[in-house]
Amino acid sequence: MTADSICLQFEDLHRGFGRLRVLRGVSGVVYEGEILLVTGSNGSGKSTLLRCLAGLAVPERGTIEYRIQGRSYDMAQRRRAVGYVAPEADFYRELSAVENLDFFGRLRGVGAAAGRRLLDELGLPHDRLAGALSSGMQQRLRWALALHHQPPILLLDEPLQNLDRAGRHDVLRLLQNHLDSGLAVVANPDPLDVGHVARHLDLDG
Amino acid sequence: MWRDISTWTAEVRWIFAKEWRCELRTRYALNTLGLFAFTTLIVVSMALGGPVGLSEPARPFLAVLLWVILLFAATAGLPRTFVHEEESRTAVQLRLAARPSSLFCGKAFYNLTLVFALEALITPLYVVIFELPVASRGGLVLGLLAGGYGLAVGSTLVAAMIAQAGTRGPLFAVVAFPILLPVLKIAVDAALASVLGEPAISLLTLALLYDAMLTIGSLMVFPAIWNP
Repeated sequence: MTADSICLQFEDLHRGFGRLRVLRGVSGVVYEGEILLVTGSNGSGKSTLLRCLAGLAVPERGTIEYRIQGRSYDMAQRRRAVGYVAPEADFYRELSAVENLDFFGRLRGVGAAAGRRLLDELGLPHDRLAGALSSGMQQRLRWALALHHQPPILLLDEPLQNLDRAGRHDVLRLLQNHLDSGLAVVANPDPLDVGHVARHLDLDG
Repeated sequence: MWRDISTWTAEVRWIFAKEWRCELRTRYALNTLGLFAFTTLIVVSMALGGPVGLSEPARPFLAVLLWVILLFAATAGLPRTFVHEEESRTAVQLRLAARPSSLFCGKAFYNLTLVFALEALITPLYVVIFELPVASRGGLVLGLLAGGYGLAVGSTLVAAMIAQAGTRGPLFAVVAFPILLPVLKIAVDAALASVLGEPAISLLTLALLYDAMLTIGSLMVFPAIWNP
C-alpha cells in the first residue's frame, strides 16, 4: 500500500442488540481498486457491519480505520467520506430525482451538472418525483446518491436489489469506474459476480 | 476524486431551502399550524364572548391567552421536524451528508420562519378580535420575536429527542416542559407588561439571554442526540 492510496481496515468488531450478539470479532481489510465481498445468511450481521463501517452505528468493541491519502479519518469524517447504498438509506419522495441529487450533492459541495450526468448514465428521469419512481428506479437513485460526490469508499448493502438486467449492467459499470480511484465493500446474502472481488468475508463461517 | 469542500453556511442554506420546498409540496406543517391556531382562536373568542364579554381588569390577561394559542399551534406542527426524517428513512442520508450543527441550524431557521409567520398572522387578528389594549406595541413585538425564537429553537431540539425515542407523542410534553417553560414564562410576562404599559426591557434582556443559552446548549447536545 502506498501513502496516497485508500485503505479500510477493521479489526475484532463486536456489536449486539440487547442480548442478541450480531457481530463477534469480525475483521477485514480492503485496499484501493478492490472489493471486499461480505456474505452471510439473513441476520448474520452484514447490514450491521456496513452501518458500523459507515459511522452510522458504533461497535461495542474493535477498531475501524479509514486511511485516505495518508490521513486517518474519525467517525464524523468517515460518514462524509462514504457512498452508501442500503434499503434504509432513502430519499425525499416529495422531491424529484434531480432535486434529491442536487440537495445531497450541495450538502457535500458538489454542483448540479455532475448529478444530471449521473442520472442520464443511470437512465433516470430527472423531473419525476422520487416517490413516483418504480422500485428498480428508486434503487438506481440510491446508487446515484451514493456516487454523486465521488466518494473514496463505497458501502453497498444488497446493491442489486430490485434492479433489472439493464440496471445491473449500468450500476456494475459505475462500480468498475469507481474502483479506478476507490474501494468498495459489498454485502449480499449470496456471492455476487461483480468483478474485482479481492477478498471475501463470510459471516456464517 | 472526493474532497470535503462544502461550507457550513451553504449547508444551512440548502437544508433551510429543502425544508421549505418539501413543506410547500406537502403543506403538512402549514396546514397543521394554521388549523390549530385558527381553531383555538375561534374557540377562545366564542368561549369568552368576544371583547364585550370581558371585564376591564381581566382584559390585560388576554396577552397570556395569546401565547397559549401560539404554543398550542406550534406544538401541533413543529415536533415532526425530525420524526418525518426517521419515518421516511431520509435520516440516514442526512447523517452521511450534513454536519449535525448545520442540520440543526437549517431546521431551526425553518421552524423560526414558521413560528414568525404564525405570530404575524395570529397576533393582529387576536388584537382586533379582542380589542386588546396594547400600551407598548414595540414591547409586544419584541416579546413575540424573542419568545418565538426560543419556541422555535427549543421545539427543534425537542423534536430531535423525540425522533430518537420509541414512544413519540407523550414524550414531547415531558421533554418540552423544562426546555420551553422558561422562555414561555418570560414571553408571557413581557406580553403582559407591554399591554399594561410597564417597562419590559429587563424581561426582554432575560428572554434574549435564555435564547442565547438555548442556542448554544442545543448546538452542543444535538450531535450526541442525532448521531450514534
